[in-house]
Amino acid sequence: MSRPDGGLITENNLQYYAGAQIIYTSVNLTTNYTFTFNTQLSLGSSTSWNPADPDYGLNNFLIYTSTNGISNWIPYVAVFTLTTNLNNSDSVIALAAQPLGIYVKVQLKADAVANNYGGYEYTSLNDVVYNFTVGYVGNQKIISDVKRTDIIFHAKRGLQEFSFDTLRSVKAQELSVPPSLSITLPQDYVNYVKMSWIDALGVKHTIYPTQLTSSPSASPVQDRAGNIIQDNFSENIEGTSQTNSRWQGANTRLITGAFNQQDLNDGLFMDWWGENWGYNGYYGQRYGLDPVTTQTNGWFNIDERQGTINFSSDLTGKLVMIEYISDGLAYDLDTKIPKMAEQALYLYIAHAILATRSNVNEYVVNRFKKEKSAALRNAKIRLSNVKLDEIVQVMRGKSKWIKS
Amino acid sequence: MAINVDIVYKTVLLILNKEQRGYMTPDEFNKIGTQVQLEIFNNYFDELNQQLRISDNDSEYGDRLKNIDEDISVFKTIGSATPIAANSNTFNLPTTSGVAATTQNFTGVANQISYPFTTITSSQLNSSVITVTINGVSTAAFTISGLNLVLDAVPAAGVGIVVTSTPEDFYMLGTVIYQDTQEAERIQRNELLYINSSPLTRPTTTFPLYLYENNQVTLYPTTIVNSVTVSYLRKPLDIIWNFTIPTGQNYYQYNPTNSVNFELGKKEQTNVILKVLLYAGVVVKDPTIIQVAASQIQQEQNNSKS
Repeated sequence: MSRPDGGLITENNLQYYAGAQIIYTSVNLTTNYTFTFNTQLSLGSSTSWNPADPDYGLNNFLIYTSTNGISNWIPYVAVFTLTTNLNNSDSVIALAAQPLGIYVKVQLKADAVANNYGGYEYTSLNDVVYNFTVGYVGNQKIISDVKRTDIIFHAKRGLQEFSFDTLRSVKAQELSVPPSLSITLPQDYVNYVKMSWIDALGVKHTIYPTQLTSSPSASPVQDRAGNIIQDNFSENIEGTSQTNSRWQGANTRLITGAFNQQDLNDGLFMDWWGENWGYNGYYGQRYGLDPVTTQTNGWFNIDERQGTINFSSDLTGKLVMIEYISDGLAYDLDTKIPKMAEQALYLYIAHAILATRSNVNEYVVNRFKKEKSAALRNAKIRLSNVKLDEIVQVMRGKSKWIKS
Repeated sequence: MAINVDIVYKTVLLILNKEQRGYMTPDEFNKIGTQVQLEIFNNYFDELNQQLRISDNDSEYGDRLKNIDEDISVFKTIGSATPIAANSNTFNLPTTSGVAATTQNFTGVANQISYPFTTITSSQLNSSVITVTINGVSTAAFTISGLNLVLDAVPAAGVGIVVTSTPEDFYMLGTVIYQDTQEAERIQRNELLYINSSPLTRPTTTFPLYLYENNQVTLYPTTIVNSVTVSYLRKPLDIIWNFTIPTGQNYYQYNPTNSVNFELGKKEQTNVILKVLLYAGVVVKDPTIIQVAASQIQQEQNNSKS
């Protein structure tokens, strides 16, 4: 395998695949060891070198020593300090003086290793800002001077915009629907992509948003005359939403028409013909059903005021998957740009700067607007990941009759 | 690279004396020479700004931007900024670049606390940072009184006293650098309020900001309390045409020791001589010299900027 040789890859295979780096002590009584992971080594606190420290679990690495560099790795539990090299962000660990011949290994924890996988696919936002400054700003360029703060602002806004419709930044949470039928929106939620419930085979079934109901933003308490009642702080007394309560307690089969024996026993409908075939086994009882609501996967609606997702009552206890998008800025790990969209982001920033600047010829702004759009279209096509073989596979289903 | 101060002085004297127009003393020349050098130096920044506004070329010797940068490059330097207090994010800028430090050695004499300067001049004392070491140990227990070093305590007899005068030559702030890698961006205080309030633009240690007020820089985020360096331009050194008067003679003889040349590039030699002559015309009250020198300078400027 190739070694880092001055290209963009800076980690060797051991660092990337195993999350480990081993340094041989070639000088007796060495104290400082420099580690060159892409991942910045971090301590939970300055005292968390100590395994007894409450923040020890927050360290993203472990240190081992060995006399042969192959086996008998002994955890290093003595005091050490961690600093960052001023010039290149390498991590420098100062241990107690190690004798000649000792191997020192830093092993990243599993999370840190996994987070680094596939990292070459992305460029960091910091690099985008630096690259843009080098490539687009300066004397004899269209943008002769610009505040770096402006570049950072537009780069982050660009990342947000791209996250919404261009980048493959869909996140997913797997949760169980509680008896309250209500789940809190994810912390970095911006919009949903898809809600599904998961069956015993692990297959997803789409849950649809409903137009049948909505969550009121306020449900003030009223007196008999219909007047809204205030408390001793002169503020409206807030009651429980009856709409939500009724929706959560609703028998959704009355909407879908998917009646069962229980409904029959409860007299919710009459089995005129005693037949047991047709939709859900009840022949002739579905006249006038709306196809939009004739499905058994359940519904959800989002209560923007409470910040919750409310599911219909037939989903109680079911495993659901919430797929959603964030804006790419919530966590440091998110703040990265696929290389396939890198050029689109540069042009987004350039256009944003030129379009908001005075005394820029309109034709220049328009040129960059077109270039930005073209680059964004390219990025979308690239990131949509359309592969010929996959299309062929899908098209093989064309000969199959789909019965309605 | 520098222009020899003796050549300039003698050329000026030659032109002045050609028709017995007058004479310029070394002291007058030193003052005028320093003034001329500063004037040309200051002019570089306006020229640079002018050149940045017009299209550039990439020729080897005709690239005006490159040429001006070459003129300025002599004065470019870098130094550490020191925090005004422990854990403070406000830093004092370096005052001296260390160029042209002058030292004078004394030997401690029993019962003597005052030592007269002979090498370090009064103008150097007034515009320099003075450091004193006694027997190799730095001390602040001294005062400067006129042209004398006055120690707070009598030093041991025979002990070595070294006085170093380093010119205060900070001229113009260039770039503020954090941890040798991150450039801090200069902002105004009103901008700081908005930038700090916006979650998208808030300063980070990767993209720090700074305020430049009262000869101090204040860095943000406030966690930046060390590892700050600044690039800056230092002021050109005051020129000195040093001399001795030979025994039994009554003329000044050039003494290269302790003389300070013009630091400007050699290509400025004509310009320097003409400008010195311009001021010399004022000194000797000869309008002809002023007119000739002024028109010559004007012509050179026209050529260089058109």
